[in-house]
Amino acid sequence: MTYLKKILVLLAALMALGAATPALAALQVDVTQGNAQPLPIAIPDFLPGGGGDPQAGANIAGVVRADLERSGLFRPLDQKGFVEHITDINKVPTFASWRSITAQGLVTGQVTQQPDGRLRVDFRLWDVYGESQMLGLQFFSTPENWRRIAHMVSDAIYERVTGEKGYFDTRIVFISESGPATKRVKRLAIMDEDGANPIFLTPGNYMVLTPRFNPTAQMIAYMSYIGAKPRVYLFDIETGKQEMLGNFPNMTFSPRFSPDGNQVALTLETAGNSDIYLMDLRTRAMKRLTTDPAIDTAPSFSPDGKQIAFESDRGGAQQIYVMNVDGSNQHRISFGEGRNGTPVWSPRGDLLAFTKQDKGRFNIGVMRPDGSGERVITSGYHDEGPTWAPNGRVLMFSREAQNNRGAQIWSVDITGRNERHVLTPGSASDPALSPLIQ
Amino acid sequence: MSSSRSQTRSNMAGGPAMRRTRPTTARGPRFGVVGSLLFHGLIFAALLFTFQRNFKAPEETHVVPVDLVTIADQTNVAAQAPPQPEPQKMDTPPPALEPPPEPQMQEVEPAPEPDIPKFDIAKEKPKPVEKPPEPPKETKKQQATDFNALLNKLTAPDKPVKTAKAGPRVIQGIGAGNMMTADLSDALRGQIYRCWSPPTGAPNAQDLIVDYDLALNPDGTVGRLQMTMGTAAAAAGNSYTRAAAEAASRAIYQCQPYRLPPDRYAQWREINPLRFDPRQMMGQ
Repeated sequence: MTYLKKILVLLAALMALGAATPALAALQVDVTQGNAQPLPIAIPDFLPGGGGDPQAGANIAGVVRADLERSGLFRPLDQKGFVEHITDINKVPTFASWRSITAQGLVTGQVTQQPDGRLRVDFRLWDVYGESQMLGLQFFSTPENWRRIAHMVSDAIYERVTGEKGYFDTRIVFISESGPATKRVKRLAIMDEDGANPIFLTPGNYMVLTPRFNPTAQMIAYMSYIGAKPRVYLFDIETGKQEMLGNFPNMTFSPRFSPDGNQVALTLETAGNSDIYLMDLRTRAMKRLTTDPAIDTAPSFSPDGKQIAFESDRGGAQQIYVMNVDGSNQHRISFGEGRNGTPVWSPRGDLLAFTKQDKGRFNIGVMRPDGSGERVITSGYHDEGPTWAPNGRVLMFSREAQNNRGAQIWSVDITGRNERHVLTPGSASDPALSPLIQ
Repeated sequence: MSSSRSQTRSNMAGGPAMRRTRPTTARGPRFGVVGSLLFHGLIFAALLFTFQRNFKAPEETHVVPVDLVTIADQTNVAAQAPPQPEPQKMDTPPPALEPPPEPQMQEVEPAPEPDIPKFDIAKEKPKPVEKPPEPPKETKKQQATDFNALLNKLTAPDKPVKTAKAGPRVIQGIGAGNMMTADLSDALRGQIYRCWSPPTGAPNAQDLIVDYDLALNPDGTVGRLQMTMGTAAAAAGNSYTRAAAEAASRAIYQCQPYRLPPDRYAQWREINPLRFDPRQMMGQ
């Protein structure tokens, strides 16, 4: 009996130990691998809130869907599959019905014509699994500005979900190309980020190259061959006025605005030697930054305005260098294979995009400002001239195929995913994305 | 030969006396040897079987995670429903995106002012106004959190807390506890990762590491989910961290219910920290 008792007690103790110990210790789990997929999001047509164009809500939702889909980070779901029909944007939706169609995000919106004639757009972004509102905003504008409101809605959703600013309410300036390869006409053109509203800015009887926006997206610096003299010009988008930037006897090219918009870095060629200069736009004073007998060109400012990246063949082949904005501390940062040129500093500051020429191909790559972490993110017969979206997340560039059918503009995510053709009327090259429009 | 015979005889001769004195014992051992041999043999065989079974047992527990992972595959397929991003045709083809034929370009010869969209509209116009959250939503949320609080209590009874202080914290870090539950971690990881799409484009991968405290119901559904204090604080000040935390939360909800061995519920009822770390994915 006593033995039995002891055994029982022991057993009970053991069982208690066995059961109790794990219950007390919480399980630890590290998830280190995922499955990058676009977020399934439901965006029903915005409701008509009264007055104005009854189609406005559908139009705006259509632009928002297209914007988000283009980013590669969202997958707008087909409206036909929706179970719940939103009738009031001020009511909490039935989340289960949206989960049942695999939506993880839901956007509800309403478009109302105000008594003063303005358009009012309200929208809410819902977290379908968390069953809560993530964002609720209101925009007012003139009715003809509905596309811009749609882009702003897209930007707001993009920012709330990804944690970084959007880039849909921006414009692209580019070189529109037409005519045969031997007698190509190159004109300065501008369009919305989604390709809407394309407009020519120059007539086409002189060639234009390398357009760049200033930080307020009101001014474009570019190189033009007016009168067969290649010079840097400024174009005021609002007034349509062009002016030559300084009057030099020799060629100027490759302009780029400083982040504060008060200076332009450019290349001036004298007696066969190209060097980088800084021009103060208020005083028009020029300051020479490089003095090397090699070709120094393609300057690009760091977002803090303290440094300039540029390309130089002073080491024998074209490579990327960085210097302080006063010209001091010039040092090479690219040591990878092939030739590397046209560095462009990300608005986020963490990366430089550049064109890499290697083994007969032209690729777009990125590297950190100290030259580390080089990655080639596109590869083509001729990919070149990268430009950053204002969020530092997306790049656009020119791509030309071997068949010489003309250049196209393409975009790519800095992860190397989501490579897409940016649709332009006809051939196009040399894109520059504007900052977010103020 | 003769000696042996005589021996037997003598034995036989002496037999009666002997038979009388210990008849039972004499018969006993004979039966006993056979019987006990059989008996012991049986016990040995039985023991062997039981031992064999016992030896197999650990293997079974090792097999469990493998099974779980495969089951997980199936469950995920069901849970995710159609996760394949078969690009569903947008019924509203973005007309702006169709490659517009050349005529769409507006010719703006030398003076393009009239055709250029006026940028100053932007100044007067779009001012995003934060909308006050409307009451119905608030109350619902309130209810939800209350309900969550209730669930907290249900899923995490006071009992363990009493003895917890010294026990679990010590055990957590060291081998035994982790060895015992490594298969569970693998099983859970294998089920969550499919649903996890972290924001890998952020500049600093460190900002994207988030920790959750997850309590699971016995049926594998999410009972309670909250960020750890550290993650909640980081998410409040960093939009990338917030986005990463929300992506993790979506993954946890989307991939539920989790298929884990019901008899070991005690071991997986709480997962803390459930860490999401995309640095490997980003090559950082």
